[in-house]
Amino acid sequence: MNIITCYKIVPEEQDIVVLPDRSLSFARAEWKIGQYDLNAIEAGMQIVEAAGGKVSALSVGDKQLENSKLKKGVLSRGPEDLYLVMDEQLENSDTFLTAQVLTAAIRKIGEFDLVICGEGSSDLYAQQVGAQLGEMLNIPTINGISKITPEGNKIIAERTLGNEIEVLEISLPAVVSVTTDINLPRIPSMKNILAAGKKPIIEWDLSAVGLQGVTKQTEVISTLAPENVERKKVIFEGESEEVIQKLFESIRKELL
Amino acid sequence: MSKVTKVWVFAEKNTALAQLCAGGRQLGEEVSALVLGTKEEAEKAVSYGADKVYWLGSSKQDKMLEDYTATICELLKKESPNLLMMQASKRGKHVAGRLAANIGTSVIVDAAGIEIAGGMIQVKHMVYGGAAFRVERALGKTTITTVGPGLFNALPEDNSRQGSVVEVDFVEPAGSVKCLERKSKKGAEVNLSAAKRVVGIGRGIASQEDIKIVEEFAGLIGAEVGCSRPIAEGVNWMPKERYIGVSGAMLKPEVYIAIGISGQVQHMVGVNQAKVIIAVNKDKGAPIFQHTDYGIIGDLYKVLPALKELIKTNNEN
Repeated sequence: MNIITCYKIVPEEQDIVVLPDRSLSFARAEWKIGQYDLNAIEAGMQIVEAAGGKVSALSVGDKQLENSKLKKGVLSRGPEDLYLVMDEQLENSDTFLTAQVLTAAIRKIGEFDLVICGEGSSDLYAQQVGAQLGEMLNIPTINGISKITPEGNKIIAERTLGNEIEVLEISLPAVVSVTTDINLPRIPSMKNILAAGKKPIIEWDLSAVGLQGVTKQTEVISTLAPENVERKKVIFEGESEEVIQKLFESIRKELL
Repeated sequence: MSKVTKVWVFAEKNTALAQLCAGGRQLGEEVSALVLGTKEEAEKAVSYGADKVYWLGSSKQDKMLEDYTATICELLKKESPNLLMMQASKRGKHVAGRLAANIGTSVIVDAAGIEIAGGMIQVKHMVYGGAAFRVERALGKTTITTVGPGLFNALPEDNSRQGSVVEVDFVEPAGSVKCLERKSKKGAEVNLSAAKRVVGIGRGIASQEDIKIVEEFAGLIGAEVGCSRPIAEGVNWMPKERYIGVSGAMLKPEVYIAIGISGQVQHMVGVNQAKVIIAVNKDKGAPIFQHTDYGIIGDLYKVLPALKELIKTNNEN
């Protein structure tokens, strides 16, 4: 089975700094592979390890994608090759534009049976790209997939919803978005990381995929940190009976 | 607040539909509900506040809700409403995304506020794991957004309201996803969002075994137990349903007690609507202490048992 797994490069949440005017600074942020996209890559690897085939990784974005540590990071998790569509136009891309570029890239890559996306990106978490991508490629698409079993020219998949699990038969080619409980992503070994450096990386810009001049369909008006809720901040220190007694006295009306 | 002309709403469940209809009344001159279900259910939408109901027909055994995407899409292209609000369920988000792809827009998901300013629809939603709220607008004719519970309060049902029901022909979907079987999920569904008291467990807990120490404490004060993301999605010590924060549960309890939780912003957004926050953490510099009403800098393995004893003694007297 030929599988394409999509991923997004995101800023490390813990490095995002809230400035005094409540805007956000990413100046000190490390970039990383979206946490939920690791599950997508792992899901692809488990399928080809069981049923044969090949996994390719694909991402679209701006110059952050050039980060060689992250390229290796993706390839060290198993994919045989990596496709990147890099363009300044894709900075802060919205889900429509992202899906549009992924569609064009996948058409250029050519043959595939299954595209796997994560549940959502770990920065904006819109959970939209998989559904949009499937629709644009005009093939079956579904989200919430927590188990995949290949079966000839289709897959049998489990889909986890609020209080039920659906067992689905999905004809291929298809696009699925997988949940975080589908697997536990592997930790690459030193050998994997060294091997990753030798794998092919194919880089395109927007014009290479025939999409010069495409733009976003949404406009961001503001992005501001929420205002702080005032708290009492009565803090005790220590573990002695006396200190815990004091804590208990102040919180007893909340607990009892 | 000014209004837009046409607002459409679509939900899987009646409670959500009633809330979306009420929201539609606030935002639009004319509210249309898309309803998949019996004729009675379609008519019910009028009593929730819809002026018009697009009745997609009764749900069929061999069809999934997702199979109606093409039907809705055709309607959407023909009528171009200003705003389509969909229930923020997994299904709702999936269908919304597919519709958006067809009409050339992005869905603005999980609306925390919808406003109309100068005739333009602006949707506020959380980004970067709760570090910020973003206000965004769609540039096309139709804005599609998903709305979670509680953004709008349902109006009292009004059976005297008048509205029209338009029957919509089913459009056969192109792709094939067939539902072979539905199983109910094992384990009771937890509803942390409705709990009055919640105890949250973070990485300060040393092992999965030790979770029961916290569970006992929670049991004593009648609290539900939740956790931070690493506990549910890192070490997988607790089910995902119990994870509090962005992409997890958002709480509104009377009291939230954070045990060994550092207080990263992604977690805090899920709990900062709590009336009172109490924290136990041995790290003096933990950000949680900036967001706490009462806190103790100390080892949870010493503090919790001592607190338990005090509560027990108190309960006996």
